[in-house]
Amino acid sequence: MAVEFKDYYEVLGVPRDASQDDIRRAYRKLAREYHPDLNQESDAEERFKELGEAYEVLSDAEKRERYDRLGAQWRAQERAPGGGDFEDFFDRQGYGGDVRFEFGDGDFSDFFGRLFGDGAGMRTSGPLRGLDREALLELSLEDAIAGGRRRLTLDGGRSLDVNFPAGVREGQLIRLAGRGAPGRDGGPPGDLYLRVRLKPHSTFRRQGDDLDVDLSVAPWEAALGATVPVPTLTGTARVKVPAGSSSGRRLRLRGRGLPKQGGGHGDLHAIVKITVPKHPSDQERELLEKLAEVSDFDPRKSRA
Amino acid sequence: MSPGHTTPRTRRPVSIDGTREELVELAVIARQAGVRVTLVRRYVEFGLFEPASGTSQRPLFAPSTASRLAKAERLRRDLGLNYAGAVLACELLDRIRELEDRTH
Repeated sequence: MAVEFKDYYEVLGVPRDASQDDIRRAYRKLAREYHPDLNQESDAEERFKELGEAYEVLSDAEKRERYDRLGAQWRAQERAPGGGDFEDFFDRQGYGGDVRFEFGDGDFSDFFGRLFGDGAGMRTSGPLRGLDREALLELSLEDAIAGGRRRLTLDGGRSLDVNFPAGVREGQLIRLAGRGAPGRDGGPPGDLYLRVRLKPHSTFRRQGDDLDVDLSVAPWEAALGATVPVPTLTGTARVKVPAGSSSGRRLRLRGRGLPKQGGGHGDLHAIVKITVPKHPSDQERELLEKLAEVSDFDPRKSRA
Repeated sequence: MSPGHTTPRTRRPVSIDGTREELVELAVIARQAGVRVTLVRRYVEFGLFEPASGTSQRPLFAPSTASRLAKAERLRRDLGLNYAGAVLACELLDRIRELEDRTH
């Protein structure tokens, strides 16, 4: 794989003749901006690593001198006809071959390894656990109730199969120990937290731990009362529509909602929605006309 | 922030098997964070976290403690902070998170 030239001056945003003080100031400012514990953007970690590498080189007079010299040569060659990439350049200069530059996650780039060799790693300050990471676990209401298995794609394209327990709630954090960022200097890795997000459902509307569902009933069912089927997350239940129910009446099915924190379940509210036949039969129409004739009910007049 | 309010709001995560996690000892915190026990004690001194229970001889900490300690220590090392500065940064980050949670 070709090793790409890195412009450390550009990374730190300083001119090539910057003083050590300028470089330190620029690094500190950018480090505060991109520190992955302070910046939640997904590229912050990568950017911060790059800053550390640039600072490691430019803050050390010896490394900086070597980088300046080889960098200038590389650019001169790039402009020459038939100029190759940085790796060709190194091979031609005789820097390649025996230099190993296999870096684990959390270390410096191939470019750095090529330039300074494997031994010249980061100035270390002892082992330390890696960063915790967070990912979103988006679930349908049915999946959240039932539990199951899901393949997640994390930042950086890694994918991970996770089993999640039955009865997870919106906003809940699920910890996967050791699945965060790798540790430093042999420290343990951080953890991965999955934040549960419940996707909107086409049938059920979530109100905290409770669910609302529309319950279509015929006018005569609403007027006379009936026991009708109602969808729940786990199947179908039957609910008694009391006689004289108007649209909007909420019928509670206790414990048919979502799992609650600390145990138990929320409720399911079936909301009565009176639905009329779009194309009544002749007989239906006749009966409805007759009803209109004999009834003195005025739904627009509030009756005590 | 009222005096003595140094314990962060702990998010009680549920591990993947669904069990609540147990309180942990100082030595376990150190191992989980990859640092020496003396460093854990130092952060207790600086008020980054307090024992959740246990005795003064054998204090017990919330399961999230190692990760909080590692965060403070990364900030301290990477940004050239001292211990008090690292603790302050963590407390401010907690407050930002709390405010963000409240507005969601």
